[in-house]
This record gives sequence, C-alpha cells and structure tokens, in this order.
Amino acid sequence: MITKRAARWVKLALLAAGVLALAGVTISPSYAANDTEIYIVQGLPGKDLDVAIDGESVAKDVKTAAVAGPFKVKPGSRMVTFSENGTTVLENTFSIKEGSKADIVAHLPASSSGDPLVTVYKYDAVKVPKGKAQLVVSHVAAVPPADIRVNDQVLFANIANGESLQLVVPVATYKVSIVPTGETKPVFFGPVSLTVKGGAINRVYAVGDPEKKTMNVAVHVITASTTGSGKPSEVNTGTGGQAVGDGPSLAVNLVR
Amino acid sequence: MTTRAIQLQSRSRRRPKRHRPGLRRSIVSVVCLLTALSGCTAQAAPENSSSRGDAPAGQSSVAPARQGRPAASQRIEFIPERLTLPGHATAGVLPAVTVDGVLRVPEDVEHVGWWDGSARVGEPFGSTVIAGHVDSATEGIGFFARLLKIKAGDTITLRADSHQLKYRVTSVRTVAKKALATDSQAFRQTGPHRLVLITCTGNFHRDRGGYDSNLVVVGKPLGVAR
Repeated sequence: MITKRAARWVKLALLAAGVLALAGVTISPSYAANDTEIYIVQGLPGKDLDVAIDGESVAKDVKTAAVAGPFKVKPGSRMVTFSENGTTVLENTFSIKEGSKADIVAHLPASSSGDPLVTVYKYDAVKVPKGKAQLVVSHVAAVPPADIRVNDQVLFANIANGESLQLVVPVATYKVSIVPTGETKPVFFGPVSLTVKGGAINRVYAVGDPEKKTMNVAVHVITASTTGSGKPSEVNTGTGGQAVGDGPSLAVNLVR
Repeated sequence: MTTRAIQLQSRSRRRPKRHRPGLRRSIVSVVCLLTALSGCTAQAAPENSSSRGDAPAGQSSVAPARQGRPAASQRIEFIPERLTLPGHATAGVLPAVTVDGVLRVPEDVEHVGWWDGSARVGEPFGSTVIAGHVDSATEGIGFFARLLKIKAGDTITLRADSHQLKYRVTSVRTVAKKALATDSQAFRQTGPHRLVLITCTGNFHRDRGGYDSNLVVVGKPLGVAR
C-alpha cells in the first residue's frame, strides 16, 4: 500500500516536473496542485447571505437555492461564516482533506421551529458512465424523513435531513416529487421536471419549508470524466463450431 | 477507478488518511530541483508556507458543522465479477470494451465479458450486458454454451465481493447477428434494469469462421442488490 502510494507520488512529481520543464512559464506549483475545493449552497429561504472562509469574504449576496464556487481552500480545519447585512447568521468549522471537494450547505433543520444549521457534504471526483449522470439527492429541508418519487416510483427511500442518496441514471428529464416516507401525500414538493446532465455529477438539494411555501431545489452540476466504451453493433462469440457439432477439434457436443 | 459499490466507497471515505510529510516534502524538493534545472521561474511553495495556518486563531470556540451522510437505504451498485448459471456453474466476469463496433469478449472461453458501457448490477435503469463464447477454434466449447439449454424461469446470479443480485430469466431469443444492436434492444441503457446475456448460435459457417445468429437471454432482477 505505502510503496504503491509512494510510487504514485513520485510519478506525479516527475510528471509535474516534466510539464513545468516543457511549459517554461512562471507558475506556482503549490497553487497548481491545489484542487481542494468547496462550494457554498444557500438553502435558507428569504435571505441573501454573505460568505467568508476563515474570515475572508468569498461571496456576497448569495440568494436562496443558489450555489456559489468553487472556492479553493487549504486542506485542514477551516471556518465558514454566513452573514446577512453584517450580522452573523451561522458560523461553523469543517475539515477538508487535500484534493477533496465539499458542498457547504446552510439550511433549515427537519423541524421548522429549530435553528438553521450548516451541513458539509464531502465527495470525490468520481468517473461517470458515458451517456449517464450521477444523481445525488440530499435532504436539507424542514420536512421529516421523506421518499423522493421519480416518474411515480420511489427511487430514493426514507431520507432524513442531513442525509443523501446517490444513483447512476440515464440522461433524461424526470418528474420528481418529495413525499413523507411510505406515503404519497401530503406532497412536500413538486412534481417538478428535472433534467440531469450527462457525464456529470448532479447534486440536488431539497431546501425550504413546505408550511411557508418556500420549498425549492438547489442544483449543483459538476462535470466529470467519463468511463465506458460505446454501444457495440456486433458480438462474435463463436469461432469453433463445436457447440453445434461442427468443430474442427472437438466432435463432442457437450450441451445437446 | 473501479467503482465496486457506493457503500464501500463511502466507508473508505471515512477512513483517516495517513500522512507522510517527509515523503511529500522530499517530492516537493525533487520538483523544485527539476524546475530550477529546467530554467523556469516557478516559485516552489511547500504546503506549510501559506499565510493561512492549519487552524486559524479564534476557531477553537466555533462548533463543527454537521457531516452529511448516506441514508441507510443507499442502493448498492456493483461491477459484476462472477456469474452463476443454474447448476452452480460459475464463470469469472471481466470488463469488455467495444472496439470499432465489436464487443471484445475475453479470449479465454471460461470467462465472460461485461460490456463496460452497460449498467452496473443494481442500477435502477438500463441493461447489464454480459457476453461470452459459445465455442472457439482454439479453445473448444465455451462457458456460455450452457446458455443453449437455459429457459425462462431459471435463476442467474451476479456477484462481486460480498454483494449479489439474482435475476429470473424472462426470455431466450435467437436474433440474426446483424439485427442484434437494432432489433433486440440488447444494449438499451434506458428503461427498467435488466440482465442481458449474449452468445452465438444458429448455423456455423466454417468459411466465414462464425455463426449467423446471436442468442439473447434476458433476465429481470429479483429485488435490489445486497
């Protein structure tokens, strides 16, 4: 394990050096290597929020259901501050590893009488099958555990505030609604049409409060590298003829 | 990256990473040395030289944010590694790639190939496509010669690590080779999830070195992957 990792690091270092040598330009390697990134998801209804990381302002007037970023951060323990008109609304620390990505979400708790909170959803840069989308749904709304119905079927079951579920789905437009776990009504949200983007991670956050009619979704789409080869037109899986007793070497037909 | 199962991924994500600052520092110096030699004016800035410390002052009194986590109902999706036909006959499954329109199945007739553009086992939509030799001129009878005997209602199991999903055979059809991709919808990646097994059948044409038809076995998942 360790030797494998070490080998990878050495390879990376050599590659980086090679690229720098070829490019012959002025760049800062520490910056180039830093792909530790966060996005801000604003899930608090009726607020325009300013956002600071470690006390430094990164975004102003982020509206409800908007996604801001990416913001490069240094790995380690960071602090996020959400404020409105100079007054701090939320402030929390979070930790992030080198090369990791995270969505930092300001949102309502499951019960609308509770205080807003910050939830950090960490994720990796995964490969997505060609022609498909990775769909990640997260529940950050003022509703109890819920089912997410997609095209009238429960595709994401019993998901509570602060949780998420992921699936790979074909590129299409889906009819999505949110209902209480195991029920079909009351409908907390929807149905709405959601078109997923292929070759991408589609992170969808259910935000708001149905009692105040502020339910909405924040959608964060991250283009990913794809995996998988194209659709075949031909499958050739018999070159001997033995299976039908017409083979060159085996006269024995094992199956008939 | 080999995505085995999302549950496994999320488990490994929680595992703390081991830090080896010594190694990393030495690599940084190698990079610095090489960039210096190459004559470019890169400013090598090791991680710890940033103006921001690892834990900024004033942070200690601030509560940590909540961590988002997967719900217990997270569906398991995996790339198949073993296929079991009725009678406990089991073959290894290897990824198979399409090259110039032809699916390259494993040469070894005791292995079968999972088309790497098809659905992983347990996905809610699309076909999981597995093709294998009925026979080969050099290796004789193949594992999928057994498909010539399979019938509707039979059970097929796909496994990887500790995960599995069983399918019930719903149809067995012979399709002219040229019509496989068009008429049979064997490769369809929309619609409900299903298993599609493909081999060769029909008349063997020695002069052309192959069969004129494909055998297409379709199965419907029995529940979700575990």
